[in-house]
Amino acid sequence: MAEMVKLFVNGQEVEVEAGKNLIDALQVVGIEIPHFCYHPALGADGNCRMCLVGIEDGRPPLVPACKTPAQPGMKVLLEDEKIKKIQRDIMELELINHPVDCPVCDQAGECTLQDYYMSYSQQDSRMNVEQVHKDKRLDFGCGVVHDQERCVLCARCVRFTRQITKTGELGIVNRSDQARVTIFPGRPLANRYALNIVDICPVGAMTSKDFRFRQRVWFLQKDPGICHGCSTGCNIYIDHHREKYGDDVIYRFRARTNLQVNGYFICDAGRLSYKTENENRQDRTLVDGVEVPLERGIEAALDKLNRARKPLMLVSPDSTLEQLWAIKRIATLYGAVLSGYSDAYVLAGDGDDYLISDDKAANRAGLQLLDIDSGKESFAAALADADLLVNFNNDLFFSPGNEDLQEALEATDQVSVCSHDRPAFSRATVILPCASYSEYGGSIVNRNNVLQRFARAVCRDADPCDIIEITRLLGGAISDNARAWPGLRQSVPALSRIWPERIPVEGVTLNSSEETHVGA
Amino acid sequence: MSDRSQLLATGKSFAFDAETDAEFERLAARYPIRESMIMPALWLAQQQQGWISAETIEYVAERVGTYPAKVFELATFYTMYHLRPVGTYHICVCRTLSCYLRDKQEIVDFLADEAGIRPGQVSDDGRFSLEEVECLGHCGSAPVVQINGEFYEDMNVEKLRALLTTLA
Ligand code: SF4
Ligand code: SF4
Ligand code: FES
Ligand code: FES
Repeated sequence: MAEMVKLFVNGQEVEVEAGKNLIDALQVVGIEIPHFCYHPALGADGNCRMCLVGIEDGRPPLVPACKTPAQPGMKVLLEDEKIKKIQRDIMELELINHPVDCPVCDQAGECTLQDYYMSYSQQDSRMNVEQVHKDKRLDFGCGVVHDQERCVLCARCVRFTRQITKTGELGIVNRSDQARVTIFPGRPLANRYALNIVDICPVGAMTSKDFRFRQRVWFLQKDPGICHGCSTGCNIYIDHHREKYGDDVIYRFRARTNLQVNGYFICDAGRLSYKTENENRQDRTLVDGVEVPLERGIEAALDKLNRARKPLMLVSPDSTLEQLWAIKRIATLYGAVLSGYSDAYVLAGDGDDYLISDDKAANRAGLQLLDIDSGKESFAAALADADLLVNFNNDLFFSPGNEDLQEALEATDQVSVCSHDRPAFSRATVILPCASYSEYGGSIVNRNNVLQRFARAVCRDADPCDIIEITRLLGGAISDNARAWPGLRQSVPALSRIWPERIPVEGVTLNSSEETHVGA
Repeated sequence: MSDRSQLLATGKSFAFDAETDAEFERLAARYPIRESMIMPALWLAQQQQGWISAETIEYVAERVGTYPAKVFELATFYTMYHLRPVGTYHICVCRTLSCYLRDKQEIVDFLADEAGIRPGQVSDDGRFSLEEVECLGHCGSAPVVQINGEFYEDMNVEKLRALLTTLA
């Protein structure tokens, strides 16, 4: 536990973590200190002055809270006419040249400037001269579009490119009321994390080309989720919405803070992978190319399974621990060989030393925990031998490299349980649609052995079944996530003391002492 | 302050000549961090070329080992860096409070009539360029004019007219 200190805010005693700056320390106990430039990932810059507070102990009457560590006995003054006047004055300054075009601004509804106007300003403009005009719709590259007039010059974006990506594409040029954010001519943003700038910009000055004008944010339902773009398992918000007479559609992913996994940011590829959840989905049940109700598809699959002498089941390294367990159980039931062969998900050399992993599978560590064989040779041998392949959403052609298996695949009768319409699944004689990760919940283990749990976010009209439900329809005994856990605990030593409902939001590192906190 | 962010590109790459290069390295040795050299390097480049082009900024960034966007920030912040070619005589007229109150506008208007140049322009013959700048720090003897770095204080139109005739 961090060391705690007692201090006073407006005369009232509060207990906060020692060493943290006042903004962060007081936020934990529900006291807001308004700020634009401070961001926990970027540190205190001290440029906006919105965070000025009074300290009644002989030091200068006003200090920036972002640069002031919480200390025992400190007397912090927030509810004071003098402080409120400063906040009003800073707000007036910020708004002098601001276009106040909230009705057409993507940020409206989640804009710090708007919120602070309501909380700390609420004054009429006294400006009677023409505003300074700057450039709008600047394409900064990487899908980031900038509006210089909306910018409050907090420099978060600039610091992000210097401190986090170390690519330094952005700068604030000129000075005084002509100051503006820009790129050096001909050198646009060029890094794989650039869209985080849109998240950290406190106003609508940095917008995402992908999201611009597509949805008002107050309509979006913002559910927590975990990115399945690679084995890092970054925490995200899945922002989705069902328009009147429309389907439930995902509009964007945003970074969700998890200091144990991804910090404050996510990569651009992961952020844009929401599109894969919306598009090219396998929603129809097909038997020999003909659309049938799901029950008929299940019947056909059961028929094949019952007849098969040597069935082979293939699982996906994206599937949750619970799904893998359910499949493992029916593999035993049907005497099937079980494989997790998924080399195609590994793009060697694509990862970096920050968040992006080579391995594009979300739960390979889980696959390994369940001791499911993933070798190519054993899979190829089993495939040559098998008379039926049941593929549970494993995209063998996720990347090139499995062309040599093509012939054997063509020679084998196949049942595909799949969330997307992809070449790896389309050859099957029976195709059973299943849910994708935004439509089910479960537990996955990332590349650093962090076990994380996520819940269902999206409910599309097609509402395909979770793979677990498919295994149940195929005769399995596991009907939901909870029922997978007694078996998981019993057969996987690393999970023996895990109760999923007790996994903290930031996840738990397996095989470490923390494990015991989650245990019974 | 006007918008100085529209850089001019010459289409030709820039590099320090041997003499400037030696001076750059001599100065660089003074600082614990190389980034401290951004401003001196810009100044040296300006002494060599007369002004600072987009290519100059890229060159300085490379020499100093930093991002061009960072050098761009400094070059546009300080008006002493010329981001356009200037005349043989670059005239700066202070426009901040003291000089403003002591009729700097008469000087600016005189130069517009006499040399035919407005702030931000270079005369047709290339001899003069004019710029309005912020406080030059000699407010006690306002209005202040600076020509190629030399200060001329307590100025007025007559003094300036006489001064201009002495310039080659
Ligand atoms: S664009 Fe946004 S993040 Fe960047 S300086 Fe302006 S307000 Fe801050
Ligand atoms: S690094 Fe991986 S898990 Fe994180 S956002 Fe990118 S693709 Fe998703
Ligand atoms: S947050 Fe403290 S000065 Fe901006
Ligand atoms: S105001 Fe002109 S020199 Fe200071």
